[in-house]
Amino acid sequence: MQPDYTSKYNAHLIRIIVVLVVLAVVGIVVRAMVLPESFGLYGHYRADAIQDEINRPIRNGTNASCLACHPYIRQMHLEGVHRTVSCEFCHGPVADHVRDGQVIALLPKKQGDEIRTLCLRCHNRIIRARPRESIKMISMPRHLEEKHVRTDHICNQCHNVHAPLMWVKQAREIVGIREDKS
Amino acid sequence: MMDMDALQQEINRDRRAFIKKVLRGTIAGSLLLVIPAGAMDLAGVPEQIPGMRDETGPFITGKKFAFVVDITRCIGCGSCCVADRNEYQVPEGNYRTWVERYIIDDHDNVYVDSPNGGLDGYQEPRTDIPYPVRDTFFVPKLCNMCEKPSCVQVCPVGATFQTEDGFVLIDQKRCVACGYCVQACPYSVRFINPKTKTADKCTWCYHRVRKGLLPACVNVCPVQARKFGDLNDHESEVYKILHLPHVVSVLKPDMGNKPSLHYVGLRREVV
Repeated sequence: MQPDYTSKYNAHLIRIIVVLVVLAVVGIVVRAMVLPESFGLYGHYRADAIQDEINRPIRNGTNASCLACHPYIRQMHLEGVHRTVSCEFCHGPVADHVRDGQVIALLPKKQGDEIRTLCLRCHNRIIRARPRESIKMISMPRHLEEKHVRTDHICNQCHNVHAPLMWVKQAREIVGIREDKS
Repeated sequence: MMDMDALQQEINRDRRAFIKKVLRGTIAGSLLLVIPAGAMDLAGVPEQIPGMRDETGPFITGKKFAFVVDITRCIGCGSCCVADRNEYQVPEGNYRTWVERYIIDDHDNVYVDSPNGGLDGYQEPRTDIPYPVRDTFFVPKLCNMCEKPSCVQVCPVGATFQTEDGFVLIDQKRCVACGYCVQACPYSVRFINPKTKTADKCTWCYHRVRKGLLPACVNVCPVQARKFGDLNDHESEVYKILHLPHVVSVLKPDMGNKPSLHYVGLRREVV
């Protein structure tokens, strides 16, 4: 009687198949455990990460969001040459001021030398990299000397920070000051 | 015996008060967790990018955004840097956007500086340049939002990715801060945020754009040196700049990353 070899060959095959199946199952289970839920929905990344990014809190508003509640400043600011300057640049983000329609804290007002520093961020002629034609440039303390005022004056003593030429124009009208063109 | 009762009552009252306080504290605490801290509400703030608040799908449809920086207009005031710091509260010494000052002397030496990333503005002139200055200008830098981003290609965990609407974003929950992307970025806009311990970079304010607001830096720029708009809208300013005669270029075009950030008036010295 011939010995039956087929069963032995089957045993080898079955062993290999069982090992492969076990490996595949372990692989699939580990992958499912390790990969986040929405991974690979749109590409090689977690699809929910897009929503996470969208949900990031907005902290800066727009000038419209500030001026909606400050009508007096609104009129001055929008009529002056500083109308393109952002409120939040000088005062801080609206999220620190208003939440859910309620005022939660007051934003600090710049005082004294802080104002001079702020003004000179844009208007300092000594920083030569600025395109000359776009905004008015001045040199300190030459500007104060030319205007015949004390050199420790702060910019906002003559210029309203929201509408820099407002008081200057009013003063000219009242007293009829004629300034030299130089 | 009477004293003991009084004492017991006292203890009970204190216990009740204590439990009340703890409960109140817990409720207040969990409410604080639910209400996102430091966010503003959008009600009453008009849309700056029309139609964005109607988008509900995972991606922006029908719009292809581009960013244009006009360095012939930039005055280096640093408004953009201040707005960016306010929006993201990135720890000091790290910058999602910054402004560089370029000075070229008549011997063609190039001097570049960016004190505190331009966050405090430029208050002092440079005094260490021996020759007369030939040219000087400011260059704001931010994410180039490449069409072929090398940072995405190198990320080993799929934490940085490009959305179908062209934004390159970072998954803050998945990033392991290996720093490959920081090295791969040809424009050095990426850094490891010491607070979140993940990679971080400018996102063109994706969260603002999706809610119809301009990126924080574009919104505050007083001289319109930063422009953001839709290239599919042929009336938009960015479309006109990129499709009509202008001196327009991108940074490091030879890297092949195809940036969506374009510069008007870019000099060859800028890298």
